[in-house]
Amino acid sequence: MDGHEQTAYDRGVTVFSPDGRLYQVEYAREAVTRGQPVVGVTHGDGVVLAANGARRSPLQEPDSIEKLHAVDDHVGVATAGHVADARRLVDQARVTAQRERLRYGEPMAVEALAKSLADAVQETTQTGGARPFGAALLVAGVDENGPALYEVDPSGTPTAWRATAVGGDGTLIDHLETEYADELDESAAVDTALGAIRESTEADLSAVNLDIATVTADGYDALSLDERRDAVGS
Amino acid sequence: MARQSHGPDAGEKNQIAKTGTTTVGLTATDGVVLAADRRASLGGRFVANKDVSKIEQVHPTAAMTISGSVGDAQAVLRQLRAEASLYETRRGRPLSMDALARVTGDTLRGRPVTPVLGGVDDDGAHVYDLDGGGGVMEDAYASTGSGMQLAYGVLERQYDPDASVSEAVAVAANAVAAASERDTASGNGVLVARVTADGVATATYDDPAEVA
Repeated sequence: MDGHEQTAYDRGVTVFSPDGRLYQVEYAREAVTRGQPVVGVTHGDGVVLAANGARRSPLQEPDSIEKLHAVDDHVGVATAGHVADARRLVDQARVTAQRERLRYGEPMAVEALAKSLADAVQETTQTGGARPFGAALLVAGVDENGPALYEVDPSGTPTAWRATAVGGDGTLIDHLETEYADELDESAAVDTALGAIRESTEADLSAVNLDIATVTADGYDALSLDERRDAVGS
Repeated sequence: MARQSHGPDAGEKNQIAKTGTTTVGLTATDGVVLAADRRASLGGRFVANKDVSKIEQVHPTAAMTISGSVGDAQAVLRQLRAEASLYETRRGRPLSMDALARVTGDTLRGRPVTPVLGGVDDDGAHVYDLDGGGGVMEDAYASTGSGMQLAYGVLERQYDPDASVSEAVAVAANAVAAASERDTASGNGVLVARVTADGVATATYDDPAEVA
């Protein structure tokens, strides 16, 4: 080794450091932290997803910055971190959800979908020559057990939450821990999600840059610009 | 149910036999009744076995009758049990009946087996008529095998949608009994499975008249 101990252990994702860490996976998590945050909040009838996709330039088309994605009728995914990596996972989620319908004739449970994505992510942390996904996901949906919200992080760990955020620093989760209540309705859940995003940015929220989506038993619905204006104003 | 013959008289037509057997399935108010005769035959002309189990549990609350090639049927049963068990272990809940029927149909495609699948889930009791082309047809009652026309004659007259499992058992046994009288590939008593939310209970009877 060339004397830089950490450099030696972070050469390959499959190499543990002497204290049991996988530096490449930690760097992937760091890539997520540096990404723009996305928030998920469950409520009595479903889940709300919100993202703030600030543009690099006013010339950029705001609709082309995709942070929230419909996956199936009953599931949406929010992504933070490397956009290119995230898109691969979103497509995998869509294919997996359809494969479930082909195989069983039923919509896929949110937990099963999140675990399937986590399996794919985990594989990259144990495969020689692979690079971990530099993206984290929030998998939000409604199935026969009701609303469900899962986080899948770059290590490939699925975790269920009542409300959480990926991307950005810890201020969002701090806000959610303070503001989240068990008996939220959908509009209160939107307010809670936007409140968390507000905590993470200096600038005022702009409906143009915001993405908000709701998932209920009626399906996945991306809010229109007018609906987002109402949500920010309230 | 017929078996591939390995004996010296095994003619070519006996190599892949597709008929033989009478199996029935009926939905009841609190579950499903499946029944089948116990004869295995070669080409429908020789009794190869007089105590064959043609109903097997494939899921905590579902069972399947088999008719057609024994080897294919056993392979399908083994695969279904594995699929159902793996699904339940991974997902923490059993396969629904519609999902199980779909998986069964996909597993059957291309195999000379015509089962009746019956089981109970959150939506209640379900019976499916399946075929080797992968067809899956849900019905209140169904019959497969060489004795099916005789069995259907009884089912059309005696099936009662308001009957409980304990009442429907007699109808299922009557259907198999009628087929056993006139179909040379069916007979040697009856195997009955009572499928409820509590599970699958099977019982064999040397004479269908003993069933009650």
